[in-house]
Formats: sequence, structure tokens, C-alpha cells
Amino acid sequence: MSTNRDFSRDGTFLIDLTKCTGCRACQVACKQWNQLPAEHTEFFSGQGYQNPPAMSEYTFTRIKFRDYQKNGQNEFAFYKEMCMHCNEPACASVCPVGAFEKTVEGPVFYKDNRCIGCRFCMIACPFGVPKYEWSKALPLVKKCTGCLERVREGLAPACATTCPTAITYGPRDEMIELGKKRLLRHPERYVQKAYGYQEAGGTSVIYLTALPFDELGFKQVTKRALPEYTWDALRLVPGIFLTAGAGLSALAWITHRRERLRQELERERAALAAEEAKEDQE
Amino acid sequence: MSVLSRIVDEVRSYHWFVKAMIITVVIGMAGATLRFVFGLGATTNLNDTYPWGLWISFDVVTAVPLAAGAFTLGAIVHCFNIKKLEPLVRPSIVTGFLGYSLVSVGLLLDLGQPQRAWHVLRYWNVHSPMFEVSMCIMLYTTVLFLEFLEPVAQKFGWSVSLRLLRWLEMPLAIAAAAISTLHQSSLGTFFLIAVDKLHSLWYNPLLPLLFWISAICSGMCIIILEATACHKWMGEPNEGELLQTLSKILPWTLGAYLALRVYSLVFLSQGPFFNRPWLTLSFLLEVGVGFLVPLIMFCNKAIRENDSRRSLAAGLVVFGLVLNRFNVSMFGMMDPQNPYFPTAIESLVTLSIIAAHILFFVLIAKYFPIFEHHPETVDYRIPHRPGKTAGVSG
Repeated sequence: MSTNRDFSRDGTFLIDLTKCTGCRACQVACKQWNQLPAEHTEFFSGQGYQNPPAMSEYTFTRIKFRDYQKNGQNEFAFYKEMCMHCNEPACASVCPVGAFEKTVEGPVFYKDNRCIGCRFCMIACPFGVPKYEWSKALPLVKKCTGCLERVREGLAPACATTCPTAITYGPRDEMIELGKKRLLRHPERYVQKAYGYQEAGGTSVIYLTALPFDELGFKQVTKRALPEYTWDALRLVPGIFLTAGAGLSALAWITHRRERLRQELERERAALAAEEAKEDQE
Repeated sequence: MSVLSRIVDEVRSYHWFVKAMIITVVIGMAGATLRFVFGLGATTNLNDTYPWGLWISFDVVTAVPLAAGAFTLGAIVHCFNIKKLEPLVRPSIVTGFLGYSLVSVGLLLDLGQPQRAWHVLRYWNVHSPMFEVSMCIMLYTTVLFLEFLEPVAQKFGWSVSLRLLRWLEMPLAIAAAAISTLHQSSLGTFFLIAVDKLHSLWYNPLLPLLFWISAICSGMCIIILEATACHKWMGEPNEGELLQTLSKILPWTLGAYLALRVYSLVFLSQGPFFNRPWLTLSFLLEVGVGFLVPLIMFCNKAIRENDSRRSLAAGLVVFGLVLNRFNVSMFGMMDPQNPYFPTAIESLVTLSIIAAHILFFVLIAKYFPIFEHHPETVDYRIPHRPGKTAGVSG
């Protein structure tokens, strides 16, 4: 986790939801590439046509559906949920064993052989991405891998490769440039904001939409990189440890010295009194 | 008579309450076994939207501050040199040692891969509050174990080790306070990352500091409750006079806590504050009944001098602390659309952890010189011949 790293060449998804047709080929490609089993689902188990009802240990990406009305017509809007691959991931910062790593290629990689299963990543992730193998006795975390192996071999991630319309994959600065161009060229088509450009300090997944983000189910997320919130407190730890240790040692030394001096004084006084008593007798 | 039958006879002679605790612990152990056989999903109500439940909220986040009496009293007696309170140090160390050992048990139950718990020592991540707390808990449990060895050495008359431990008292007390300051506060740091999840009534950047001060308050109150209960039900000596002195410190710590709490809420937090009625109620109960009322009570001399009223005030602080930790780690984190209730197994296991704490405390107090310890009466001299001395007793 290096705060000064340049993220502009990280592999980044530009997901233009105005171009998404809701075909869910990305869901299928993801399952195929990651060899994830199907889930038993029921139609209309969630809101509208979306299935499965949520991301899970078996489903790393999912298209959310939203019905709305435009000019008296029924319309669909979509939202592809997946790991955002944050520039400075909250999951990586809170993991006690460093099981998450923001790779130089862009994807946030999960080292399952390190994980102790504390689930702090699930608490920390502002997007609710890491999922757990609840059915197992010794469970691990599951999440979108960003197809790190494919990216390392020079391929685009499975979902980006298979998507016929909406996903572009490339270096972050180029994706931001492309997104800006689209917003400028068709201001009537887009909400004038790119989700992921600044969210959680910037992510490797950037969305463009026609509908306001909160209406599609995007979470309202702080613009500040999340690890900074805890680091503000944690960076004080060595100082506090030394201050507390040294302060208490000094305090103990002072209080004990004071007691010793008091006892000596008392002894002297007692000796003096004894001497005086002796003199009085004589 | 064989050893076994002597043990059986001994257990038979216990009070029914102790027997009930033993049974609860056994049931809890059965529940814990189920967790490892069938997994967390089958035995708990945890899910992807609510990954931390009762075992984290109580067994870790709440149990750690409840065991804070050990470092607080150690610092009061050894660093502030209020020697008068020394007889309370041992019960607080026993409480702390049991508390932390059981925190480790609770944590191992909740971990998905408990066999890999040692990975924390292997793969360091200094950016993680969980790493910091785990390291501190391991270190501090060791310190508490060393401190706990003192009554053990005294019981068996190992005077050489007793002298050594006696000499280590001060450095151990300082280490205990420094380590505790770190992890008590870092438990608050856990929730700083939950920026948009934890409700504004509890989320603020001073959370670590608030956790530390409230832990000090509750640690002392637990000692008050424990000593009073042991006097009442176990026939241990009445430490009422010492508890009075201890409760004179409480208005200061409680006052500091409340002042910081109000300051952080007014100046450092961003609303909306009172948008969810149940959380508002919980907040009022916590701050009002759990901290403000006992603050007023502890300011009153008559209440401090009265055993049962003092215990009531201490009980209210413990209530406030427990509610505070639940508000931060459970109620304030919960999505109202997906409420979480612990399963019977989760509740039983937590209950049996509390029972185990009480059980072991009672047994240790029964067999080791915990309460009758008054340091001026103990002979710490090295005997002429190495080995045991008979003259060492509280």
C-alpha cells in the first residue's frame, strides 16, 4: 500500500452503462473463466429481472436491473456490480495478514493461502464486495479477481473481452480521458459524473450512466481513500506506546522517590525526637 | 482414594451455582464443536451483509474493555503509587488474565481459518488495526500470565520465583498499561474504516480515545462489582473501604469520557443523528443511564460509601459500556433492511464464555490467595536452602 504510487497506468474498466444491453454475457464469462458453479435461483427473487439476487461466493459480478419511465415509455437501466479494484483498497489496509494486494497491473489480488478468515475486509469494503464461503467449515473470502492472470498475459479480463457493447479496458488515464470525451460529446445522454473517478480515493472501475447513480443502487462513498481514516489513528501507535511507557515509568520513579524521601524524613524526625527525649531525661 | 475420586468428591461439594456454570460451559463447548463441524453459515446468522456478529461484538469488542481493570489498577497502584489499593490488584489481574484468554477463545471460534491464527506473526501488516490488536492481545496475555503467576508461586511456596515476580511487578505494570492503551483504543480504530456504515451517533475520529477512556471506567467498575460479589457470596474479606477510594477516581474518568463524547458529537461528527428512533433510544440509554447517571452517583459521598449503591453505580457503567460497544459494533453498523439476530448456538457459546469466566474466577479465588493478599504480610526472603518454604502465606 503505497500512497504515492501513480495509478494512471493501472488496468481499468470503463463501464458505460448507457451502452449496456443487459445481456449478462459478462456474468457467464466470469463464471466460465473462474470456474464458478451456478446458483440455484428463482425468477423475480430480487428486484426485477436480476439474477442471482446478490453477488456471492459463486457470483463475482452481476447485472442489476432497474425499470423506469422515460417519455411515457418503460425503460431498463443496468448496473454491473463487481470489485472496484480501488487504488488504495480498504480491504488491503485492514487485513491483519496482508492477504490483499493492489497489484501494479491494477487488479486487487486476494492471497487465499494467507487469509485467517477474520472478515474485516467485508466490514471495511465500502462497496460490499468481498463475500464469504458460509457453507464451509473453514471458509475463505471470494471476490472478483480482476482476471489478474489474463491481464498479466496481456489479455483483457473475461467480462471485458466478452462484453459486446459497454466495457472498455485499458490504462486508467486513457479510460478517464475516454470517459470525459463521452460526457462532453453527449451531455444529454449522461449524468455529468464518472463514478469511480474519485470514489474511495479513485478506483480501477469507472462507470458512466444515464440515470443518477443512487437510483441505480450505487453506494454513496467518501472521496477520501479509506485506509487514511484508520491510518490517522494507527500512525500514532508507536508514539503513544513510547509516551505511555516513558510517562508511567517517570511517574512511578517520582512517586516512589517522594515516598522514600518522606520515609527518610520521618525516620530522621523520629531519631531527632528520640535524641531530644534522651536529652530531656538527662 | 485415587486422584480421580478425590476430584469428583471435590466437585460434588461445590455450590449449585458453580455446578450450573460447569454445565453451561460444557453446553457451550458442544456448540463450539458444532461450529467447526457444520461451518459458520449453518451455526450462526452471519451472512454477506452482516459478517461480524455476537462473537465479535461481545466476545472481543466488549470483553476486552471489561477486562481493563488489570492494567488500570496496576497503573494506579504501581505508578501513581496509591499503595492502599494493592489488595485489589490480584483480583483484577485474575479477571484480566481470564478475560483475555477467553477473548482469544472467542476470536478463534469466529475466525474462518483458526489454524492459521499464527499467520499474524508471519505476515505483518502494520496498516491493519486488527494486526495491532492481535499482537497486543498476544503480548498482553503473556504479561497477564506472568502477573498471575505471583499468587500461584505464593500458593506453592516457590519463594525464589515469587521474589523475581515481585521485582518484575513494576515493569510488568508499566508494560501492561502501555500495551493496553494501544489495543483498547485500536478496537475503536476498527470502526474508523466503516465511514459510511457506522451511524453518525457513534462514528467520529475520536473513537479510539473514547474506547480507551471508557475501558478504564468499566475496568474499575468490574473490580468494584467483583470484590463486592465475592465478599457477599464467597465469604471473602470486605474491601469496601478500598472500593470507596477506587470510586473516588471514577468521577474524573467518567467526566473526561462524557466531556469528550459530547465534544466529539457536537464538533467532529456529521449528522443525521436522530433519524432512526431505536438508535436514538439506544444512544440515550447508553450515554444517560450508562454514563451520566453513574457519574452523578459517584460524585456523591454517601453513595460511594454504601456498598450496594456503589455497586449499582458500577453496574450502570458496565451496562453503559456494553451498550456502547454493541451500538458501535452491532446496532449502529446494521442495515435496517437486514436485521441480525444471533442464533441459539451463537448465544449459548457467548453465554458459556461468560460462565467460564465466572467459573474460573470462583475456582481460582477458592484455591489461590487472591483476596487475602496483603503484601506487608508476605515473606519474600530467600530461604537458606533452595526450594520450598512453608512460611509464605497471605
